[in-house]
Amino acid sequence: MAAPNLHRFANPGQFLRLSGWLLPWLAIGGTVLTAVGLGWGLFLSPADWQQGDSVRIIYIHVPAAMLASAGYFGLAVCAVLSFVWRHPLADLAAVEIGPVGAGATALCLATGSLWGKPMWGAWWVWDARLTSMLVLLFLYLGHIALIRAFDNPERGYRAAAILALIGAADLPVIKFSVDWWNTLHQPATFKFTSAPTMYQGMVWPLLISVAGFSFGFGAIVTARLRAAVMERRIRGLMMARAQEAA
Amino acid sequence: MTRKPLSRKHRRLLILGACTLCLAGAVGLALSALSDNVTFFVSPSEIATKAPAPGRSFRMGGLVETGSVVKTQSDGKAGARFRITDGTAGVNVNFAGILPDLFREGQGVVALGTMRPDGSFLASEVLAKHDETYMPKEVAEALKKNGTWNPADGKPAKPGG
Amino acid sequence: MTHLTYIIPAYALAVVMILAYAISARARMERARKRLAAIDPRARDSSARDTKGPHRG
Repeated sequence: MAAPNLHRFANPGQFLRLSGWLLPWLAIGGTVLTAVGLGWGLFLSPADWQQGDSVRIIYIHVPAAMLASAGYFGLAVCAVLSFVWRHPLADLAAVEIGPVGAGATALCLATGSLWGKPMWGAWWVWDARLTSMLVLLFLYLGHIALIRAFDNPERGYRAAAILALIGAADLPVIKFSVDWWNTLHQPATFKFTSAPTMYQGMVWPLLISVAGFSFGFGAIVTARLRAAVMERRIRGLMMARAQEAA
Repeated sequence: MTRKPLSRKHRRLLILGACTLCLAGAVGLALSALSDNVTFFVSPSEIATKAPAPGRSFRMGGLVETGSVVKTQSDGKAGARFRITDGTAGVNVNFAGILPDLFREGQGVVALGTMRPDGSFLASEVLAKHDETYMPKEVAEALKKNGTWNPADGKPAKPGG
Repeated sequence: MTHLTYIIPAYALAVVMILAYAISARARMERARKRLAAIDPRARDSSARDTKGPHRG
């Protein structure tokens, strides 16, 4: 198997150049699409025939849920890159993705609660979908703590990568929980096999909002990763200076 | 046999793949073993075939049978009597408390409570369950009018309902 | 609009969280860029060139 030369992207200078070009596009795309998606969802899209206006929470809840899972999938990809290819940027990326993904998960749980109370009649129920999503939040928090827990960062990276890979088992459980078991949570709006059972005038703002959140997530992670790469270079330079002076 | 020794990178990849397979198997087995506990509610026909122990609290889910809802008052507290059905079996439910906004005939609900000796279900909590069909009221009414409404989606809400 | 007591907190929380993450990420990046530019002569001709930051961070 001829592995691609991933270390090409490990050069921090090259990463800073590439991400510096990419970041404004991600940021602009994220801002515009999120504003359009949420504005459309909140003011222009129709109310649901049975849920009334509370359905508008979906335009935050679904994108946040998708990014919560996508972010953890990103952690798992970083873990593989770190284990097998010892890619140095993968570890830095794992440090920066964790808190952003945890934020998306918390937003998903909070908006779900705000939607569940008026519609189901409960803020929280222990059904398979909600419970597996709460497990994901704890996996994120564990990852955030573990990757910063060691004096030697390399050991933190190793331990957190193991957690990321084990925790990835929760992702299919979240996705398919609504199909495998009886849950109070309704099945997915977007399915792999059939068209969404959602009115066109509601699908569009939802898709735009999903795209906007994704770009915004990408922009925030990229900005944090750029900062992390620069901070590492600063530390390296400071250490070199200290050694010169000694 | 002269096989090239695996490079360190390939060995790590192999170990990782093996661990992933083992982990996936373990999680799959655990979940299938747990599936009875993972299930949030049981249906009336499951109760008919495998009666739960009396006095044990559990959740029952299904549709509110059309024409079965009777609003009740007991000790000044609002409540309701209705039938939960899954199409093949039905169970009478008694509930004292506030019903969720979405509660109506034909709607999916999940009730928490216990079986009583007479075969009815005493609910202490009723939650509404909705599906993933989202559409404006006008569309729901138009579908109903031209006969393409899917009855599994329940009844369109009455104006203001 | 119905259910405003649930919709407003949901949207407010989303906007506040997105802004908090975006602003803090951008501030951290700017801080790192300034510090790096001050001590690393190499930074001036490679990464510090894009002085226009992101609009959102």
